[in-house]
Amino acid sequence: MQPPRTRNHTTWRLLLREVQMIAKDHSLLLTLLIAPLLYAFFYGSIYMNKAEEKVPLDIVDNDRTGLSRTYIQQINNMQMVQVNQFTNLETAMENMRTGKTQGFLMIEKNMERKVMSLQQSTVTLVVNAAKFLPSSDLMQAITTATLTVGAGVRLQYNLKQGYNNDIALQETQPANVDFHPLFNSGVNYGTFLLPGLLALILQQTLLIGLAGGTAAERQKHTFYDWLQVANGNYSLALWGKGLFYFVLFAVYGYFFMNVNYSVLNLDRMGSSFQLSILIALFILTLIPMAMWIGMLFKSQLLCTQMMAFSTYPIFLITGYTWPISELPKGLQLITALLPTTPFINVYTAIVQQNASMIERMPAVVHLCVLWLFYTVLCIWKMHRLAKAGSSSLIVLHEK
Amino acid sequence: MRNGLLYIILREWKRIFSRPDHYLVLIVLPPIIFFFYAFIYNKQKAEDLPVAIWDEDRTALSRQLMFMLEETPSMHITYQISSMTELEQLMREGKIFGAVHFPKRMEKQIKSRHPVNISVYTNASNLVPGKLVYADASKVLITAGSGVVLQKFVKTGMSPAKAMALVQPLKLNIQQLYNPNYNYQQYLVPGLVTVALQMMIIMVVVLAINTEWNEGTMLEILPKANYSAGNIVVGKTIAHLGVSWLNFILMVGVLFPYFNLTRDGSTFQLFILFNFLSLACIGIGMMISTLANDTMLAADVGLFYTSPAFVFSGFTFPRWAMPWYDQYYAQLMPYTAFLDGFFQVYFMGLPLHYAQPYILKLLLFIGVTFFVSVFFLHKRIQKIHAYATA
Repeated sequence: MQPPRTRNHTTWRLLLREVQMIAKDHSLLLTLLIAPLLYAFFYGSIYMNKAEEKVPLDIVDNDRTGLSRTYIQQINNMQMVQVNQFTNLETAMENMRTGKTQGFLMIEKNMERKVMSLQQSTVTLVVNAAKFLPSSDLMQAITTATLTVGAGVRLQYNLKQGYNNDIALQETQPANVDFHPLFNSGVNYGTFLLPGLLALILQQTLLIGLAGGTAAERQKHTFYDWLQVANGNYSLALWGKGLFYFVLFAVYGYFFMNVNYSVLNLDRMGSSFQLSILIALFILTLIPMAMWIGMLFKSQLLCTQMMAFSTYPIFLITGYTWPISELPKGLQLITALLPTTPFINVYTAIVQQNASMIERMPAVVHLCVLWLFYTVLCIWKMHRLAKAGSSSLIVLHEK
Repeated sequence: MRNGLLYIILREWKRIFSRPDHYLVLIVLPPIIFFFYAFIYNKQKAEDLPVAIWDEDRTALSRQLMFMLEETPSMHITYQISSMTELEQLMREGKIFGAVHFPKRMEKQIKSRHPVNISVYTNASNLVPGKLVYADASKVLITAGSGVVLQKFVKTGMSPAKAMALVQPLKLNIQQLYNPNYNYQQYLVPGLVTVALQMMIIMVVVLAINTEWNEGTMLEILPKANYSAGNIVVGKTIAHLGVSWLNFILMVGVLFPYFNLTRDGSTFQLFILFNFLSLACIGIGMMISTLANDTMLAADVGLFYTSPAFVFSGFTFPRWAMPWYDQYYAQLMPYTAFLDGFFQVYFMGLPLHYAQPYILKLLLFIGVTFFVSVFFLHKRIQKIHAYATA
């Protein structure tokens, strides 16, 4: 056991060694110093407008009466819809095929006449459901417009029956549905995705950079030098090297949560203190995980290549875009081994729902367990590599 | 010349199947990643999401509505709550995705012609479950509300047909083409697989030329290629194109049939379109590999260039909703052009001529990148050749 002063000195030497190593490796410089900031602004800007608007729609108006014009006007007034053109069925179909529109609305002939004579009239909305977001937004907007026009027709009928305005209005819609989307009042895609995206950028740049750097230690045969600087103390080797990444990514985390959130107009509802603790815990879990992954490779290039393909799979199974309960059981097990899963769970609850860490305690404990798990795994791998290295040195010496 | 080209093709195949940085990415990873993506969405739709009921009415009507909500595919009532605080608490704890509130005296008020508001709460920070819960809840509640109006009109002596016409004067008939069931597996997996493929091709081809220089093996192939940059680039391109065909077969011949993702469109037309994407990706990789001698730098450029392709392509979030500069940037990636054509040929089953504008864009990528690759490689070879003959 080293005295604390020696330990601090060793940690400082390991930190400096890491800085020198990164400064000499432009791939690590790019991944660790430029990519996080560039990605955060670059990806973030895509969703800057938060939601889509003006989804193009053609109208096939076979009625051309006052009622059909009112209906179209109602649709046109909606922010979500942009009437592309009034056309015939063939052109509307062709426009949807060529991608000029996302669908079309067909109003049948004699709509007004039918409605006035208390007959139901059918309007047909055709959407290109190959694209989920525009088609579902179109359906929701047109359904709302249709219900509104329908309510207007009933109101006119009730007024004609001799009811006064108030009663007629009450009779029109006895049961209303009030929609309260909590924690993302605009139900915006951007508001939903951006917090997770920033967390993913923080994680992946750390994983790719640190795993690549650790693989480079093996590739450049500096692994034993690393252990030597740490006086053969694996834990010190891990946290001495990791200290640089902890500081760097904690700064990035702070930057993302303040500057990027502000630039992207994102609300950060929960406690900043708890968020800081959580991000620190997350980085502390990622560091041994990244080093362990890096030690599995003898080539920095191969490690970077493999890690590059981990981004989307990790993001898709952490429960952010698709509920974990809907994943096959085997994948749920893999999900549980990723620090992103409990982190995203608590992080989104804090920033978007004003929750506290106590309210998501199982996920916090999960993250702590993973921190311990990856620390043990990393130290075990270091020990194995050191043992393999010393046995091969003995063999070489004996030869 | 023909022998030289054949030599380069065969040699490149040998490299692909013997170098871990090639075969792991092009041969081992594709089946793992493709099946992984497909398994994620194997349930195809999110179902039985936990929701809470806040029933202050406690009447036959509210019980009937609860029963109807439980019958919907997306909702499963897991909590009975009694306050807004409890509702928000359960959402914060991640225990529910939504809740429905029946107000006090709901049934009584409806019967006495007083309008009531039934509230649907969703956790909109979880977009997919939130939207599903809202869609199903509003469908049930609007239908129930319409039923109330219908009964009232019928009670006044109106015929059911006329009453129905008043309840719903405009009947909205929605036709969802090309993925009527909103099946997530059918929607996302083909896109994720093709975006992974373009990434795999570029991430490996960025090593095609520079590794030859760095490892000193370029001198080995130069005489065989007759010192022609064109021969080297074409030979390596054919070899990588051949490997991309293996992955195409894996995609349409194994993955799609296994997970029932095969569509009506012609596989041959999809193959043609896929070849344009492969060639554009090979061209980009070849250009990076010619210009960047450092393999790690080339890999980093490849990674930086390919990884945002999915989000910029407009697959999940439409390009028209992005700021103008991102819309332009999206055009700098071949996957964007491919995706537009892929939607038409694969998802919509349309003839290939619909994808013509996108094929032209891909041809532009192919023309520019191959020209730059051959030009710079030729200059470098000329220098070496001049030095050797001197």
